[in-house]
Amino acid sequence: MIATNVRRLGFYLILAFALVSGSMVWWQVIEAPALAARSDNPEVIAARRSLLRGTIFDASGQVLASSSLVGDLSVRSYTDPAFTHVIGYSSLRFGSTGLERAYEDLLVGRADPNPLRDLLNDVLARTPQPRDLTLTIDRRLQDFAAAELGSDAGAVVAIDPTTGAILALVSIPTFDATPISGDPNAAQEPMDALRADPAQPLLPRARQGTYVPGSIMKVFTGAAALDAGVITPETTFPDQPRQETDGFTVDGFTVREHDLGGIQPALWPLSEALQVSSNIFFAHVGLELGADRFLSYARRFGFCDPMSIGPDGRALSVAASYVTNPVDGDCSPFDDAVELASASFGQGEVVATPVQMALVAAAIAGDGVMPDPYVVRDVRAHSDTGTPSDTVLDRFASGGGTRVVSQAAATAMRAAMVDAVNGELGRLYAGQGDITLYGISGSVSAGKTGTAELGGQQAPHSWFIGFAPAQEGAAPSIAVAVLVESGGSGSGRAAPIAGRVMAEYLRMSGGN
Amino acid sequence: MRIAWRGAELRLLLPILLLVPLGFVVTNIAVTGTFEPGPMQLAAVYVGMFVVAHLVLVLSGHRGDQLLLPAVGAMGSLGIVMLNRLPQGLAGTSALGFELGMAATQVLWFGVGLVAMLAVAIGLRDDGILRHYKYSWAAIGILLLAATMLVGYEVNGARLWIDLGPVSVQPGELIKITLVVFLAGYLAETRTLLTSARLRIGFISIPPLPYFLPMLALFGVVMLIAVRLNDLGTALLFFGTFLVMLFVATGRRSYVLIGLVLFVAGSFVAYELFGHVQARVNIWLDPFADPLGAGFQPVRALYALGRGGIFGEGLGQGLVTLGGNLTIPFVHTDFIFTAIAEELGLLGGLALLAFAAVLVFRGLRIAALARDDFSALLAVGLTASLGLQTLIIIAGNTKLVPLTGITLPFVSYGGSSVLASFLMIGLLLSISHRTQIGTDAERGE
Amino acid sequence: MTGDILRVLLLVLQLGFVGLLYLVLMRFAGSLLRDLRSAEEAQIASRSGIGRLSVLESPEDEPPAGSTIALGPINSIGRNVNNTIYVEDDFVSATHAMLTFRGRSWFVEDQGSTNGTYVNGHRIDRPVALSFGDEITVGRVRMRLDR
Repeated sequence: MIATNVRRLGFYLILAFALVSGSMVWWQVIEAPALAARSDNPEVIAARRSLLRGTIFDASGQVLASSSLVGDLSVRSYTDPAFTHVIGYSSLRFGSTGLERAYEDLLVGRADPNPLRDLLNDVLARTPQPRDLTLTIDRRLQDFAAAELGSDAGAVVAIDPTTGAILALVSIPTFDATPISGDPNAAQEPMDALRADPAQPLLPRARQGTYVPGSIMKVFTGAAALDAGVITPETTFPDQPRQETDGFTVDGFTVREHDLGGIQPALWPLSEALQVSSNIFFAHVGLELGADRFLSYARRFGFCDPMSIGPDGRALSVAASYVTNPVDGDCSPFDDAVELASASFGQGEVVATPVQMALVAAAIAGDGVMPDPYVVRDVRAHSDTGTPSDTVLDRFASGGGTRVVSQAAATAMRAAMVDAVNGELGRLYAGQGDITLYGISGSVSAGKTGTAELGGQQAPHSWFIGFAPAQEGAAPSIAVAVLVESGGSGSGRAAPIAGRVMAEYLRMSGGN
Repeated sequence: MRIAWRGAELRLLLPILLLVPLGFVVTNIAVTGTFEPGPMQLAAVYVGMFVVAHLVLVLSGHRGDQLLLPAVGAMGSLGIVMLNRLPQGLAGTSALGFELGMAATQVLWFGVGLVAMLAVAIGLRDDGILRHYKYSWAAIGILLLAATMLVGYEVNGARLWIDLGPVSVQPGELIKITLVVFLAGYLAETRTLLTSARLRIGFISIPPLPYFLPMLALFGVVMLIAVRLNDLGTALLFFGTFLVMLFVATGRRSYVLIGLVLFVAGSFVAYELFGHVQARVNIWLDPFADPLGAGFQPVRALYALGRGGIFGEGLGQGLVTLGGNLTIPFVHTDFIFTAIAEELGLLGGLALLAFAAVLVFRGLRIAALARDDFSALLAVGLTASLGLQTLIIIAGNTKLVPLTGITLPFVSYGGSSVLASFLMIGLLLSISHRTQIGTDAERGE
Repeated sequence: MTGDILRVLLLVLQLGFVGLLYLVLMRFAGSLLRDLRSAEEAQIASRSGIGRLSVLESPEDEPPAGSTIALGPINSIGRNVNNTIYVEDDFVSATHAMLTFRGRSWFVEDQGSTNGTYVNGHRIDRPVALSFGDEITVGRVRMRLDR
């Protein structure tokens, strides 16, 4: 009887041996190509150790990242910490991040932008040459924006609303990636220090930081409601003036106005409501729009899903923004009308990345079309002279965009945003975003401030989104989002930064 | 004492013994880039030891299984070739003024192990000392565990080692044997009672509890201590061996099922209670979540498997170090299988698994042929322990199960493991010897 | 040049190593198959037996110590010569015990003997199921049930 049981045991053990063999086949045959492609694979790192990588240039042709051989070690150095959260790093110890990762095979020379040539190189066993990248970002604007934030944690995102080209993508605090991209044995200590830093310098806030947006969300709510035909620029809500002081009771919960700073409540239409940033008005707008339409417009604007900057496969990742509690990476339905009303003025469960909010501004600036953002302008043959080669191998242009609201809705919202910066009431709030304050004449800017309440004793996040030039007939050339973590009111910190950045860009592009 | 020729053993040993010298030559050429052949004296010592062991068995008239020693020799060869090829200085000993590298230390332990194996295989003519003193063996096991808990010291968060002057030993390795001896004795005595349970509730038949109690009590104590010592691999191994022996003794799948349910429940409780268990499980589920931090070791091991592919990177040409750092930490103990599968590919990995399978199925054969229940259960227990240990650590290397810190028998670096594994082979040899003698006597009548 | 020779030599030796591994595996497979065949033959040869008794101790040497007794399904043990297993010992009753194979296992039952029947040193008072390897003592005769 024991012999019978032993035979049965033998059968089970054969199964176990087969299972283990199967797991070996899985990793050594089926998954092997996928493993070989990952950038922190020691084989990839070893191959990179002595291979020169291509240079990365800014839009004006200045070197941002370059490689040199020290002994037989390929060492990467970076010229400007303001770009670290765009370019990432290429470490022989920690693998690569950012653009260094997205463009790994091109930079190292394992791939050619032209698939036919790529195939030919494979067949002839020719070592492909490293390639250089040129960004859409001009170093002057990036540095200017970084200097404006100074030592405050925050982010500045600037986009060309017609093409989607990223003009600035700043995350502060940042760090110099050169020490962790050189000798792998010396890389651990600086990396440990960065990981231990409570300020979280490794976090690319502009792309991966999600923040309560506060009143800048009203731009979205207004544009969606205009597009849906729920409101017109003249629509008013009869109860609104009284509710400005008494509060607006939704489902038994009273929504209260923020401190209006002495402004007398009145029957405000869209422009005035945006100028004084009336929570009550936009709560009404959101409730009129309804939960379902609010969510579907949010999805159209890119909420509820991770975003990316650049074409598929060569993209910088952007964290998902949400208008409700996320469930399984998607927005859940609104719990109740109170949550919907709060979301309408950017509180409730809404969180957004600076990139997402810059794209909201760009959509209004672009007559209702939200552009597909990109940050690498072209791929060129490698040049080690310090100036870009003239041989352009591949050009990444605007991939177009998505119409999110009608042109009419965008135009109406744009007019209200111009008023919000320049109007009689608006100047009291967002006046610091006015570019004429910073030496620009003949053009005006549009925008909206946000003061995102976090609850408790924490100082609110300071936000501003806007674009310029915004006067009638002009085509806006820059849309921005500025976030200062716990920076207080939107008008105090974010608005002047945004105004100066827009002014600086207009000066740069007008002067050139 | 009559001489018993062991032709099959010799025929198998001859090609196997070529593996070590050839492996040394290959790896030395690959690593140094010169025609240097490597430590040939060491290879000669290894070969000599197995030849001597074979001759001793022949001269003593041993009639035990002839495939066990070759299977051990083959697994050991792969291990020693790899240990010689890895960067030295990961481990090693200095004794009597000699500095011994990893491979030399391992060969030394193989020598000790072979002597122990021969002593048990030849010296243990009667198994009475095992059969009749089962509670003493259990007590010895528990004492060893308790000693580890009191005076042991920790390596990598698990307290497994006792320092005995010149050598450190891992008592856990020896406890495996005493536990199997106890269980074999206990189950052989009570198996008829355990099987004839008639109490049924629904589909489940309830075992006669009083007969289970001593076994369960001892087992609970052992498991508790193993978990306290943070030695999850050994705990899993004990438990698996226990279930296998219970199944073979009673033939009841329901007991195994109950055991597995208990195990899953226990794992869940452990996951909720202990931070280190939780951390380990999370690393197992998604090592790529933190490939440079907590998941570093398993992720690097998977990369090595991927680099190996079907045919391997070539013996001696794997990516063992990167800029002076090991690509996989603890490659010589926890990840020796991965190192072999990287350089010899899926082909080499499967060969190693096949050698282990030979060992296991010969062990089961010995159990099936054994003439009494105690010997059969003892053989099953020893085989299950060796086989499960091999499967658990290889499956850990390939992310099939969470990684545990147990060794790959006869391959991983480590004296205690080698010694314990050889003792187990010695016991299997002695069981099969007695079976064979009995059969011969029967035919002679 | 030396580098090339070295590379080729290395490749040949590496292939040789893997080849050797698989040669070993094939030999193992050969040995396993041979054993399987001989095991089948052995099984055919010994199909009749359901168990035997090995006599461990027998002061009067009947049955002789060290001998084995082939068992049928029903065996009576006692000092009477009509028993299947005849035991010469003053401490054994005429019909002392019954040793029977029922279905899957062996059972031993005392037949009201004066000095009792012992299994593994314990006196039995009802039929007891036996495992292979168990020791049965009647009088001063000690025997082990073997397969």
